[in-house]
Amino acid sequence: MSSFETELLALLPRLRRFAQSLSRNAADADDLCQVALEKALNARASWVPGTRMDSWMYRIIRNSWIDIARARVRAAETFVAEEAGAAVTGDDAATVEAGVVRSEIAGAMNTLPVEQREAVALVLIEGMAYKDAAAVLDIPMGTLTSRLVRGRQALMTVLGEAA
Amino acid sequence: MTPDDEMLMAYADGEIDVLAAKRIERAIAADPSLADKIAAHRALRVQLSAAFAPVLDEPVPPRLSAMISTNVVTFAPTAVRTPPPRRWLSGLAVAASLVAGLGLGAQWQTSTSPVSATASGLVASGNLARQLDTQLASTAGGTRMLASFRDNGGRYCRVFAAQSLDGIACKGSQGWQLRQTNSSATPQDATYRQAASDDAALMAAAQEMIKGEPLDEAGEKRARAAGWR
Repeated sequence: MSSFETELLALLPRLRRFAQSLSRNAADADDLCQVALEKALNARASWVPGTRMDSWMYRIIRNSWIDIARARVRAAETFVAEEAGAAVTGDDAATVEAGVVRSEIAGAMNTLPVEQREAVALVLIEGMAYKDAAAVLDIPMGTLTSRLVRGRQALMTVLGEAA
Repeated sequence: MTPDDEMLMAYADGEIDVLAAKRIERAIAADPSLADKIAAHRALRVQLSAAFAPVLDEPVPPRLSAMISTNVVTFAPTAVRTPPPRRWLSGLAVAASLVAGLGLGAQWQTSTSPVSATASGLVASGNLARQLDTQLASTAGGTRMLASFRDNGGRYCRVFAAQSLDGIACKGSQGWQLRQTNSSATPQDATYRQAASDDAALMAAAQEMIKGEPLDEAGEKRARAAGWR
């Protein structure tokens, strides 16, 4: 195996953790990893050896996650329109059931808006520095810190109420 | 100056310069409740990272690791997701066309063509034959050996991915007979070729042929030492 593959393989556990902190559940997270890995392997020429592969992969996972979420929203809109809302109850039931299985923290993460969740995941769970997280998300530092602080405040409130 | 929550957070994360940190420490001295806010930020970080830390110790699902390390062959059915429409052609037409294309005249028998025609069918030749003889699956190179195994007839077979040709070759009396072939990616991206789906299709074909388990590195070395007989 080349160093590209060796390094990517070594990163996999962290990539799965990042995917889990973004996704609704573990199965979705591994599907997300699979989509992102396909993209990464196809785009391996765009990775510059010597640069941080973790940042490169986090960005691919994050962008894949956004794509999947958008597609899901579109599918859900179509679905609800066609079924005249009948399916909404079913969706809620499934969500509640999944919430029981999911840990309290992961559940709290899922209450966050997308842009806060990704900031929290990169800094607090993946342990990235602010500037590196901002680079992954392609946003200015000030934007990152304001999303991060709002995400944290929301989590403290949700977890505080649950405690 | 009362620092806002964003500054307290940055202080808690160690993301603040020394001067700003001094100002915050002075503010804490004047208002001890600020220390609680900083502690809350740190506690949340500990809580979140602890909640997700166990993921690092979980075994990575083979379907993910197999996408990267096609050398570590699991042959797990889940590793093969809906193989794309293949260019498997009956009668090894692809390899035959390669022979025809490269082998105008008599050159191909001795040239660098990876394929030669013999009385018993198409066999690997040149570099490809040498690589099939000697290269272990763990070795990097222009030609990748994806897996080695014994087929139902007890013959050693190897799944390979070369620059111009992918396939499965089995060692017979005439050399490495080509059992499955597939023309590879276009030359310009051959260097960066990591077509997981192509590999998956080959692995699916190998799974049809395999008897027992694929060879590990030690098994490959033993088979190589015995001339793959």
